[in-house]
Amino acid sequence: MITRLFFIFFLPACLIGAAVIHTPQAPKPSQYHLSKVTAKGEVIHAWGGPWSCVCDSRSGLLWEVKSDSEDIHDGRWTYSRLLQNQGVANNGDCYFEAERCDTEDLIRHTNQEQLCGSKHWRLPTASELHTLVTTEVKPGSPSIETGYFPKTQRGDYWTSDGNLPLKGVYSYLKFGGAAVNFINGQTITIPYRNAAFTRLVTNRSSTCHIAPQ
Amino acid sequence: MSDRSKSPVWILLHAALVIAVTCSLFSGLRIATLSKPAIASIEELLPQGEVHSVHFLSAILLSLVALAYLCSRVLRRFRARQQYGHKPLNYHRVVTWGGISLLAISLASGWLLFAGISKLPLTRTLHFCAALGLTAYIFLHAGVYLVQFGQNALRYILKPATTRRAQLILSCSFLIIFLLGGWLLLSRFTYYQLPVSTIPADAIIDIDGHANEPQWADAEVLQISTDGGANFYQGRTDIRLKALQNGEEIYFHISWQDPTESLAHLPLIKTDQGWEIQQQGFEKFDESRYYEDKFALLLSSHCDFAGAGTAHLGRSPLPDKPANWHGKGYHYSQSGQLHDLWHWKAVRTNKMYLADDNFIGAPDIVRAGIRRYTAGYQQDGKESGAYVMNWKWYSPNNITPKRLPSDTKVLAPFQNLDQKGKLDWTISWFDYQPYSAESDQVAPGTLMPSVLYTSNRFEGDRADVRAKGVWRDGYWTLELVRKLNTASPLDIPIEDGTCLWVSAFDHAQVAHTRHTRAIQLNLSNAL
Repeated sequence: MITRLFFIFFLPACLIGAAVIHTPQAPKPSQYHLSKVTAKGEVIHAWGGPWSCVCDSRSGLLWEVKSDSEDIHDGRWTYSRLLQNQGVANNGDCYFEAERCDTEDLIRHTNQEQLCGSKHWRLPTASELHTLVTTEVKPGSPSIETGYFPKTQRGDYWTSDGNLPLKGVYSYLKFGGAAVNFINGQTITIPYRNAAFTRLVTNRSSTCHIAPQ
Repeated sequence: MSDRSKSPVWILLHAALVIAVTCSLFSGLRIATLSKPAIASIEELLPQGEVHSVHFLSAILLSLVALAYLCSRVLRRFRARQQYGHKPLNYHRVVTWGGISLLAISLASGWLLFAGISKLPLTRTLHFCAALGLTAYIFLHAGVYLVQFGQNALRYILKPATTRRAQLILSCSFLIIFLLGGWLLLSRFTYYQLPVSTIPADAIIDIDGHANEPQWADAEVLQISTDGGANFYQGRTDIRLKALQNGEEIYFHISWQDPTESLAHLPLIKTDQGWEIQQQGFEKFDESRYYEDKFALLLSSHCDFAGAGTAHLGRSPLPDKPANWHGKGYHYSQSGQLHDLWHWKAVRTNKMYLADDNFIGAPDIVRAGIRRYTAGYQQDGKESGAYVMNWKWYSPNNITPKRLPSDTKVLAPFQNLDQKGKLDWTISWFDYQPYSAESDQVAPGTLMPSVLYTSNRFEGDRADVRAKGVWRDGYWTLELVRKLNTASPLDIPIEDGTCLWVSAFDHAQVAHTRHTRAIQLNLSNAL
């Protein structure tokens, strides 16, 4: 009789009591190859913020993250491509320069402020930038992980690959630079004078890469 | 325990009753977690997923058993009078009669709720209380029998004294046929019908929230009761719908009761420690106080229960995907079929003269770095245009605004959340300047709107539904228009037989009202 009482009344009561007492666990992020880094160079929680850089543990690269703060990292600014005197100066649009903007302006300012603890920011190569391209995106979103790289535009992003022959209507300009298109992830060659978006990278940072500073 | 043997039919019906009551109770308690947080405290004991269909199927089975019992009771009573006279009362007879009464209340209130023709809050309370009573009944009836007689009790209800195989097979077949027939009847022929009036192609319907055009006066009205939402009086509101079409576009005029016009959408408040978001549940994506009013229409070429089968209740209805924060569930499509979702928002989209054109599809992949997983609920793509929230990063504590007004006097009208009257709770990106701690001269205690318009409106696929809502005298009226066929892969074409569900939100993020039966659009007289 006692055993029956236990199984029929006491056990269900215990189950209900346990369910009431137990608090469901809040969702937690799983391990991922990208991690968020603050402007001061500190790695933060995957769902934390704000952050200024993203470290990719697969490539060892630290990437600039764009914002909408109207500072030098605003994702809407465009730049003409100028690198080591190759290209066109001041043909993009930004608010932080008295003149218009080119890629060297962004590199100079970013290194001056030592974003995320690094002063070795540069343009990525096309193959480096291509490591950020992803195809499984939400409708209308750029082909990148927007959870880590917000304010990315569906457009062309400059790379350091230059001195490439231009074709078609631009062939009279002879040479241009490679850009990765974040609509479909393709790499294309566009004239240096084009106003395209820019995301900087460094492979020399204390938070993401073991190479000496 | 009586030593009278039980017939195979009795055993069949009793087993069916046990199954039906168990399924009804567990699925019903899961449904109750949406509006009764106390029940959510035992959520781990309750089933997850698309439980509405289980609930309705078990209701049919329960009704069939009840009907069979009623018939047998009448027959037996007739015989008993002839042979035995009245039976004496004892504990089990009293408990059984109690159980029968609770089942009767449960079935009657359940079908009234399904039909949507009663005073919903009272009927729902009755239905819920009957369910709790049935839980007690199970212990008082089955529990006491098992304590008294142990395994003999099980033998008594499972092993027929006589083996009348033919009778058992016949009864079983009847039960299955009636069950399937009932399900077919319930799931295919119980829709509300919304006739869509045809108007000439050159008739102009102004999307302004007012049904001033004469065509609206001629359109038929469908009124449905919805309940289970947060903040509405007793959680319910009646929704009136009218629809017009001109062969190219479909227009809806919708009105619903909402005692308050809620526009203060997650306002920011300056404190001595900095800026904070006014919130009560937003951290778990279930804000139910500082939120705008909203309205949603779900359109589908399927008319299954639970919003075309998209409502999957529970904290983790998808075992291989993240749990949801509020424990209520996810919307997603299991069939791969896409369902359209138009989401009008009183602050974020109303000024754009748009409803947010969204969809419910297959569960999305898990996106690292994003705290809220929304399963199948996603937005159509847009080319440009947006609203953004005026904080750099969400925090339940202190936040940093993105932008501040250059002159703090513009915040004066927003300082009283209870004030009546028209106030635009959106702020223009370009009228404000980037935040800096140095330039922040706003006094502690000051409220500031948080919805920043970066442009006038969405452009692209997400802007397919034009809409405008107006609140007056305790009612919202909303006009919407969309092409019958947008040719977008993220929209469904609207045609005769398309089904529709509507939900109103009273300053709540996710706690919306709902109705059981689908609304079927009748375009049979269309051009």
